[in-house]
Amino acid sequence: MPETPVAPQLTSLSGWGRALVVFRKEFREAFRDKRVLFNTIVSPLLITPLILGLVVSMAKKQATEEGKTRLEIALVNSEKAPATVATLKEAKNADFTPMTREVAEKAIRDRKFKVAAILPDDADIRIAAGNTVTVTILLDEGNQSSQTTANRLATAIGERGQAVTGERLIANGLPLDLARPFDTKEEPIKGGGNVAMVLIAGFLPYMLALYAILGGVSPANDAVAGEKERGTLETLLVSPASRFDLALGKFLNIALICLISCLLSVVGLLWPLYTGWGGMSEITKATGGLHLEPFTILVMILVQIPLATLGAGLLLAVSTYARNQKEAQTYLMPVILLVSVAAIMSMLLKSDSSILYALVPVLNAALVLKQALEGIFNPAFFALAMASSFVYALLAVAFAKTLFDRESVLLKA
Amino acid sequence: MVEVEEIGKTFADKKKGAFRAVDGVSFTAQPGEIFGVLGPNGAGKTTLLRMLATILEPTAGTARIAGYDIRKDAQSVRSSIGYLTGSAGLYERLTPREVLAYFGELYGMRPDVLQTRMNDLFDALEIHEFADRRCDKLSTGQKQRTSIARAILHNPPVLFFDEPTSGLDVMAARSVKQFIRRCRNEGRTVLFSTHIMSEVEALCDRIAVIYNGKIAAIGTPDELRARTGEIHFENVFLRLIGEPLDKELDAGGKIHA
Repeated sequence: MPETPVAPQLTSLSGWGRALVVFRKEFREAFRDKRVLFNTIVSPLLITPLILGLVVSMAKKQATEEGKTRLEIALVNSEKAPATVATLKEAKNADFTPMTREVAEKAIRDRKFKVAAILPDDADIRIAAGNTVTVTILLDEGNQSSQTTANRLATAIGERGQAVTGERLIANGLPLDLARPFDTKEEPIKGGGNVAMVLIAGFLPYMLALYAILGGVSPANDAVAGEKERGTLETLLVSPASRFDLALGKFLNIALICLISCLLSVVGLLWPLYTGWGGMSEITKATGGLHLEPFTILVMILVQIPLATLGAGLLLAVSTYARNQKEAQTYLMPVILLVSVAAIMSMLLKSDSSILYALVPVLNAALVLKQALEGIFNPAFFALAMASSFVYALLAVAFAKTLFDRESVLLKA
Repeated sequence: MVEVEEIGKTFADKKKGAFRAVDGVSFTAQPGEIFGVLGPNGAGKTTLLRMLATILEPTAGTARIAGYDIRKDAQSVRSSIGYLTGSAGLYERLTPREVLAYFGELYGMRPDVLQTRMNDLFDALEIHEFADRRCDKLSTGQKQRTSIARAILHNPPVLFFDEPTSGLDVMAARSVKQFIRRCRNEGRTVLFSTHIMSEVEALCDRIAVIYNGKIAAIGTPDELRARTGEIHFENVFLRLIGEPLDKELDAGGKIHA
């Protein structure tokens, strides 16, 4: 006589309870995935500072090298102004090579010379008469190195001009300060922003926006597209968990991972500045160290919540729509590109830009962050940015849920 | 018990137009019975089982599973069924113990009941030795045993098997078939879908032959043989769906009165 199967002994587990079960399992599984560990923890904590350190050290190296190297200048009309040439040749760190204008232009185009100085035909007469000699600097505007050299040449000629002025004043028995009635010097105020903050304000919004997406890519792809690929989704769909429970549990996991990724990207950007790693000490020490006000830290944390929520909603929608993980990766490309563009715009826009930017997703959060880092708080902009970000995040989640309810999307493989 | 009434499913296809995958299918499967759903690939077997498991919504008709209507009480239906397919995978980064615990929690099983049930299944299916090894490190047979344990974890009165032996070697396929028989002997209602004739002959008490989304015939293997006058089940099947017979099988394969 066959025994009768016993009805399952169920607890009164609610939909939220089941969503929580899904969330816990997804979270545990995600952190056993090397891709998640790398993208969510290693990359923001180590790769970001490494890139930042590399950028700073390269910029420093270039600046040092450019300061040290002698200026190689093509000199046009030198034969017409030997006295002026003699004066210019006394300039520090500069070597002049005589040539015609045509040859000089070709040399700049061919990148054999970075700039050329053209002396006027009457240069010597003007020098002798104590008048100003206007030196034309030929440069290639499409060549950054040519522009830098042009600036250095202008400074060198200016310094040489001051020396000549001094000689003239002394020759006439006048004091040196006569030609310089004003002088300036810079002094940073206490409690104001500093170079480190400018650096953070430039980088952080971009990093946050990017990590709000990048950190969650692997767990999101795994969440639905991966389940379709492995054939586990069907077994999940026959469990008592509703599609909403499943979507919610998966969404919560992706959102939390995006948030962790965002938070760690902040830590990744700040620890080199606090510890002075990778040549950052010069930036922080020179400006009296890095100080973040509690308000700034609060805003930094607050803006990440809608960013991570929006990122998670988008990622879940893409993963649900895709047949497999490979397809999900392909669909993600334009999403990452759009987020990057919005983030890059925050680097270009001023922090006190139009309030309408508070309606642009990603860019609004990035601008709020930029404002906070520069010590600005605009309540209207902040409120509008947070509200619109939450609305976009809700729309993304609702879209993902709609896809979850569609048989044709969920069961395509 | 599984009671299916005129169930149908039409898919909207942008290129082909409306496609009727299952068309007016009705049958009843009793507790303690293995009911086979036999048909070629694309006949509508998977769509039928997916509707009964509430994964797909029918466009016509309905069904009652363990007394619950699939349209009105989908959650109770899902709590009453076990579902195993040949293409079903496992969570590779979890261990069999964690996979079972996950589904047990989703089924709302009390922790003490879940623990006892898991231990019983680990004993019965010899899972203990690899219960704490990640699923991506398991052999195909070990994975299949874990999937079986997952399907029956909540002790469902109704079980659906959709091509459960596809891709399995002889040994793993044998253990699946033994498990299906055990389910019948335990008094469960078993719906078994396949396109493999030998499995149908060896396992099923009654068979529904499905072709182009419709039921071509229902009966015990012997009834279907008698109806077609054929011995080999492949020929029985071909006769029922009106296809030409296999000549080699046909020679001497007739039932003579």
